[in-house]
Amino acid sequence: MMNKERSVKTTLLNAPYVVWSVIFIIIPLLMVAYYTFTANVEYYDISFTAPDGTTYSYEIDGATVNNIDDAKEKALEKAGVDSDSVVFDNASAESRTEFTTEYFSEIFSKDIARAFGRSFLYSLIATALSLVLAYPFAYVLSRSSVKSQKMQMMLIMLPMWMSMLVRTYSWMNILEKNGLINNFFGLIGLEPVEMLGTPGAVILGMVYNYLPYMILPIYTVMSKIEPSLHEAAEDLGCNWLQKFRRLILPLSVPGIISGIIMVFVPSISTFYISQKMSNGKIVLIGDLIEARIKNNYADGGINVGAAMSLVLMIVIFICTIIMNKFSDDDGGNIAI
Amino acid sequence: MKVFKRLITFLVYAFLYAPLIIMVFFSFNSGRSTMVFEGFSLKWYETLFSNNVLMECLQNSLILAVASSVIATILGTLAAVGVYKLKNKYVSGAIMSVNNIPMMNPDIVTGVSLMLLFVFVGTFLGLTEKTNFWTLLIAHITFNIPYVLLNVLPKLKQTDKNLVEAAMDLGCTPNQAFFKVVMPQINPGIMSGLLMAFTLSFDDFVISYYTSGTDFRTLPLYVYDIVKKPVKPNIYALYSIIFILILVVLIVNNFVLNAPSKKESSGRVKKIVSGALAVIILVVGIFVFKGCENDQSVDGLQAEYSKEFEGTTLNVYNWGEYISDGTDESLDVITAFEQLTGIDVNYITYESNEVMYSKLKSGADSYDVVIPSDYMIQRLKNEGMLKKLDFSQISNYKNIDVRYKNLYFDENNEYTVPYSVGMVGLIYNTTMVKEKPTSWNVMWDERYTGDILTFNNSRDAFAIAQKVLGQSFNTENKADWDAAADLLKKQTPVLQGRVMDQVFEKMEGGNAAMAPYYVGDFLIMREENEDLDFVFPEEGVNVFVDSMCVPSCAKNYDAAMMFINFMLEPEVALANAEYIGYASPNVEVVNHPDYCYKDDEYLYPAEEDMPEVEYFYDLPPETRNYYEKLWVEITSK
Repeated sequence: MMNKERSVKTTLLNAPYVVWSVIFIIIPLLMVAYYTFTANVEYYDISFTAPDGTTYSYEIDGATVNNIDDAKEKALEKAGVDSDSVVFDNASAESRTEFTTEYFSEIFSKDIARAFGRSFLYSLIATALSLVLAYPFAYVLSRSSVKSQKMQMMLIMLPMWMSMLVRTYSWMNILEKNGLINNFFGLIGLEPVEMLGTPGAVILGMVYNYLPYMILPIYTVMSKIEPSLHEAAEDLGCNWLQKFRRLILPLSVPGIISGIIMVFVPSISTFYISQKMSNGKIVLIGDLIEARIKNNYADGGINVGAAMSLVLMIVIFICTIIMNKFSDDDGGNIAI
Repeated sequence: MKVFKRLITFLVYAFLYAPLIIMVFFSFNSGRSTMVFEGFSLKWYETLFSNNVLMECLQNSLILAVASSVIATILGTLAAVGVYKLKNKYVSGAIMSVNNIPMMNPDIVTGVSLMLLFVFVGTFLGLTEKTNFWTLLIAHITFNIPYVLLNVLPKLKQTDKNLVEAAMDLGCTPNQAFFKVVMPQINPGIMSGLLMAFTLSFDDFVISYYTSGTDFRTLPLYVYDIVKKPVKPNIYALYSIIFILILVVLIVNNFVLNAPSKKESSGRVKKIVSGALAVIILVVGIFVFKGCENDQSVDGLQAEYSKEFEGTTLNVYNWGEYISDGTDESLDVITAFEQLTGIDVNYITYESNEVMYSKLKSGADSYDVVIPSDYMIQRLKNEGMLKKLDFSQISNYKNIDVRYKNLYFDENNEYTVPYSVGMVGLIYNTTMVKEKPTSWNVMWDERYTGDILTFNNSRDAFAIAQKVLGQSFNTENKADWDAAADLLKKQTPVLQGRVMDQVFEKMEGGNAAMAPYYVGDFLIMREENEDLDFVFPEEGVNVFVDSMCVPSCAKNYDAAMMFINFMLEPEVALANAEYIGYASPNVEVVNHPDYCYKDDEYLYPAEEDMPEVEYFYDLPPETRNYYEKLWVEITSK
């Protein structure tokens, strides 16, 4: 009796979130698949009677004309009938939802595939660089005093409060052709270097924006390593390298995995950073999704955008599953 | 070792904070640039609080972040307790896997997927009420819950079950045991979850970008909307205030922490941090409130304005940075209208005609006045999405120059009132480009490799190639578009980049030699850099007219007429023309003795200097799709 009551209570506790997840996580993902494989096609049904009594009926594809008058003209053109003397029996617009693989196959075109590859490569490099910076930093942080740790945690989160857009803008000021760095180079007699607009700038933007996401989980696992373990390792005669290899590295793997995922995922899908840091020259998959949805939303853009999102999601899930194979943790290290 | 520790700490902080320091530095710039420092000034801070649109976005961001993080924290904590109590491993495993989806999924996919859901539900239910706050709230809660859950769950797992049993043995009910024993232990987890949720929500751009409608804009969306116009240091100033406030709170926090003994401190940190957050929100809130008290009045009104629509909300949908907003002692047009008529204007911005179109088309919101460009008006009209205007209520229509009446998209002057006129031309830096260019061909000149900019917008970029090839902008012939695309592909090696708003920093700072852009913007750039010059290339250029019109979904038709009439008032139109910098179709402005661009040779070229011009027309979907695909090919090389 008691047990049953308990399980009812547990269910009640879970219910709001489970319902929420189904409606706002699962169903939207199904919507992505739905839009990927369906097309909303507009037709104009035009039928008219020519002066000689013959009736013509046409279905004009909405993509080829601007409005119903154009459609009428097109129908007349097809019939080869003079426009002055016909009576229109019917002229109406209709839209149908049809299954199609057109959008899905579009993303396998050379250009989109190339953008995918480029996104993958850049975010991989950005993730590696973040790891190289964050790992020693997190280690040093985890070994400092408790007070300093608290303070520094906040200092690391603080930049995340500033809009990513504003911070990226600020980087542009630094890297611009006549920007701060090149001005400094000028002062010490060096030639200006082209920085903005290069792949390096895009990768720098990624590392900058997502570095805290690498630091936080690594720091979390490292701070859980008992100080006594460090002492024990030293007492047992481990040198610095041995201690690292045998103690710190294995214990910090879950944090590294979380960090890698948390940097890699936003990097591969970014569009603002690549747009601004590359002067609009380097187009990543995120840029393509954004552009298609923005520029021709109503005529297929949203479907192509959905198709690209679907593939991006699948790629990331595969990567995540592979990454998680290296760790038996449940992913709880993302928490701070 | 010590050196290494210091070095890596220094490196990371220098890297994280360098752009923030630059941001604070340039917020004190007396110039308009965010790159060339002209002198110390506080003017961006002063104008900040009179900028109603900006302040409203800040307010929205705060409301959204607080609401979404609190709700997400409640739902997430409940879920964490639920998952923790679950005996069935598969069920809890399934819940945790679903929980991971929003975190593993790229923001753009989460955003797009939620957008598709909202669009689908919206069209299915035929929603016409404003839902933008709710869609954003739902989206933010959705991506926040997983972080709360993952902060709370580990704390729950760390709690000692014996303690709960001990409490119950001592006579606590299970509920009492939970609140008195478990809660204090998981509190730090809840607090850090809340803090993280607030941070993520306040800074979120991507998901908001897809799930927001237009009547509820957050700060990051505001920054993103400024596409055609320069980003100004006022945004730096706003973020500098936020930055300094948090920094001060942190430092104070740290000093307060020095006093008590170390062991208590952990719980205190969270309390103080959350208290500090409350303070920040309060202070900023006060500023927001303060921002609304500026008195604006307009001299020389030509029409009568009654207060009969007092209290109604008018939704005005316009380009970003496309109305005089009170910066630099200009007239704050929106506030002036509100004070005059008692109508509450909800001023919303978009970044492109296409974005505006999709928002209108989705039917999720109602707008009363929109200001799209010519070809988009043609499309809206063709699709029956515009209402005819009642010109008997727009007495100031007489101020419109006859040259801007009977235009192709509104041949009988039924639907539109012109607002702003622009022409594209080539801006170049005379120190870098020696001989005055006369043709668009110069944009392919290898001598300027790496110094040439072009539009980051398919149709405008194509337009240049089309003129070089002697085509019309409005060709429906695929071979023409192919040829233009080939030409654009050949341009890629000499380009420095494809930009929109960045063009201001680029050209003003001497970072690039030439860029095609709008003539009005050239005048604004020239104020910052005298080396810049402008030419209308001989092959011809694009001309556009942005006009005010009323979409068929409008709910406050008469108030919209009043607004349009007000925008034609000489003083109002003058303030807008000077702020935007584009040519005005209003004769009262053109003849106004104080007009700063009066008789400007570029903005108002004499008859004989008038370049070859052509309008963009609305193209059939097939053609649009075709050139969008070509554009992907060109840009993703």
